[in-house]
Amino acid sequence: MITRRQLLGGVGALAGAGALAGCSPTGAPPGADTLQFWHLLSGGDGVTMQSLLDRINESQDDYFVRPTVLEWGTPYYTKLAMAGSGGRAPEAAIMHSSRVPGYVPGGLLDPWDTGRLAELGVSRDTFTGPMWNNSLVGDQLYSVPLDAHPFMMFSNREVLRQADVLEDGGFPAVSTPQDFVDVLREITAAAPEHGLSYGFIGDGAQMWRLFYTLYAQHGAEMSFPQGGSAQIDDEAAVESLRLMSQLVDGEIASSQGTIDAGIAEFSAGSSGLLFSGVWELPPMQDAGIDVNIEMIPPVFGQHAVYADSHAFVLPHQQDPDPEKREDTYAFVAELLKNSFDWAGAGHIPAYVPITEDPQYDELQPQANYAGAADHIVYDPKSWFTGSGANFQADFGQVVQDSIRGGDGFQEAVDGLRSMVDAILAEPNPVDPEGTWNP
Amino acid sequence: MSMAPQTAHPPLPAARAGATEPAAPITAEAEASARQARKKNRLVALAFLAPFLVAFLLFVVWPMLHGFYLSFTNQSLTGAGGNFIGGGNYAEAFSDPKVWGSIRNTVWFTIISTVPLVIIAMAMALLVNTGLPGQWLWRLSFFMPFLLASTVISQIWSWLLDPEIGLANEVLQTLGFEPVAWLQTPHLDLISITIATVWWTVGFNFLLYLAALQNIPEVQYEAAAVDGASRWRQIRSITIPQLMPVTGVVFVLQILASLKLFDQAYQMLGGVSSDTSRPIVQYIFEAGFVGYEFGYAAAISYVFFALIVVVGIVQMTIVNRRKGE
Repeated sequence: MITRRQLLGGVGALAGAGALAGCSPTGAPPGADTLQFWHLLSGGDGVTMQSLLDRINESQDDYFVRPTVLEWGTPYYTKLAMAGSGGRAPEAAIMHSSRVPGYVPGGLLDPWDTGRLAELGVSRDTFTGPMWNNSLVGDQLYSVPLDAHPFMMFSNREVLRQADVLEDGGFPAVSTPQDFVDVLREITAAAPEHGLSYGFIGDGAQMWRLFYTLYAQHGAEMSFPQGGSAQIDDEAAVESLRLMSQLVDGEIASSQGTIDAGIAEFSAGSSGLLFSGVWELPPMQDAGIDVNIEMIPPVFGQHAVYADSHAFVLPHQQDPDPEKREDTYAFVAELLKNSFDWAGAGHIPAYVPITEDPQYDELQPQANYAGAADHIVYDPKSWFTGSGANFQADFGQVVQDSIRGGDGFQEAVDGLRSMVDAILAEPNPVDPEGTWNP
Repeated sequence: MSMAPQTAHPPLPAARAGATEPAAPITAEAEASARQARKKNRLVALAFLAPFLVAFLLFVVWPMLHGFYLSFTNQSLTGAGGNFIGGGNYAEAFSDPKVWGSIRNTVWFTIISTVPLVIIAMAMALLVNTGLPGQWLWRLSFFMPFLLASTVISQIWSWLLDPEIGLANEVLQTLGFEPVAWLQTPHLDLISITIATVWWTVGFNFLLYLAALQNIPEVQYEAAAVDGASRWRQIRSITIPQLMPVTGVVFVLQILASLKLFDQAYQMLGGVSSDTSRPIVQYIFEAGFVGYEFGYAAAISYVFFALIVVVGIVQMTIVNRRKGE
């Protein structure tokens, strides 16, 4: 029997291990400004970011970047908002671009000076159009993207080869939903389990990512004007949901796959394809899968790919120290120019000179999908959308039954519209009086 | 240290003696010294209580008062707003279907978790008390889950209940049933959370029952056996009536614990909130920390507070009436 002391000893050992796992940054050189930098990158991303920061800290003596890593999701965004509202925020922080429009009206972020960035070699020309435009709120630049992490189609080349559908090392060209489903059936026949691994059940974010990709392939837009009514293209939305439900028929993909189960299935080599974010690339490579990543085929006409970006922001400071601001600009520019290794984590570096570098072509399979950066669609801009916000979860609530049941698509779209309209009628909680003007 | 004067001159009995026995001869000096001792005693007591009182004022009383004030403002977590808007938040809360839906979820969870948590705990205690061999093993294995953190049991159960690769569906399929999406199907999600909760916390009630069982005098069973009462009859007429007081305690503790449902529901669903499983505490958290509407979140928590007060009053009346009988 375990005695109480043994149990406590075990717990103590665990706690100790946790404390040791915390990073121990080296000290700042004398005379250097310390820049507080908050981010939400953990796991492999966190390690890569730390090595980029270490390199920058060692390369110069003007400033020293001290990172604070917080848990991603609600905890991070709550703390960042509170820091910004107090006016004593960190010098720089990483946010998901999709969350920026919700932060700006409350005065939680300071805009970037595009002139100053341009002097450091960071400008409109060094990002793709979708990324730059998404970083603007009104006509001000509020975020500087570090990457794009799109929702893509992973393929296991070995399974595709067995199914005899492999074309040019990837998925064959298809241009209609029916062709797509036909190829998927061929893969399903050859795959040990399902043709496609797609975890969606109980996970609104996963449903939204695929839905919005397919929706945008129609060339349709979606907008949520504050105080107005949601603009949604019903036909595109219904067709997108219909295709999703065809995919999760229990044969091509499981009708009740969770995100974890989908990743486990694909990394075990039991399926031919996986719909997931590019950040799953390193674990798949570690699992020894002959993996390729490409955009989900443009079955509804246009290339489109749902993505979000990690982006640098300037949390609002009441009295920014001009010298530290200067250093912050230098730091961000320097990190962007050295973000080649960031691609190792699967993300597409946002700074275009990185992906255009001939060296990038040797990075496989990253080089194959760098072009997706031109076809990115982000969440509709509003204060309640974005990664880690409630909107995606609520979306899942509204559509899950129709996707699983194979009917009621129009009702689901109606449900989405009335859900969004109800939120649009409420004031933005970071600006409850509506006093902010872009 | 400061306990010394108390034990050296017990002032309380002296004071009480003075009050209840006016006939006893009391000199003015004795009374003065008693008063002084009483005063000193009160100061000492206050000094002992001070650390707690400061924490209590800072972290319980002040947040309660400030929260009540916030509920009448449009304060945002981001510092915006903060203006007095009267009963606007309360009006919104009463007309918000998510408030009522999540209160319904919490109440439903309280009902479906409390009943098995009482019955199963009692049954387990009765079984163990019959003198099964390996008592320590039963006691340990029934109580062990209670020692785990909510994060741990949430992880364990979300894997067990995974629709694709979970053990629960593996068993169902082996028995020839269709697999079930336990945590992802509306209405079933809250039941799945209840199952996990019962497994997790039943051990505590089990321990209370076991202690109560061991307090029942053996002679009563012997007397009943002499009178020819069967085993079942003994349980019905001796054991269960004797367990009533502890059952009352278990019920009260359980209802209060279940109304606070948040951790395991939030964690097992990965922070995703569904209309059929979102407890009220989670909605308060979402309104305040995801939606940044502090004022509104405060108003909902006061609505919930009022409901708990009603439950408390009902409970007290029942208990008092029983005492009266």
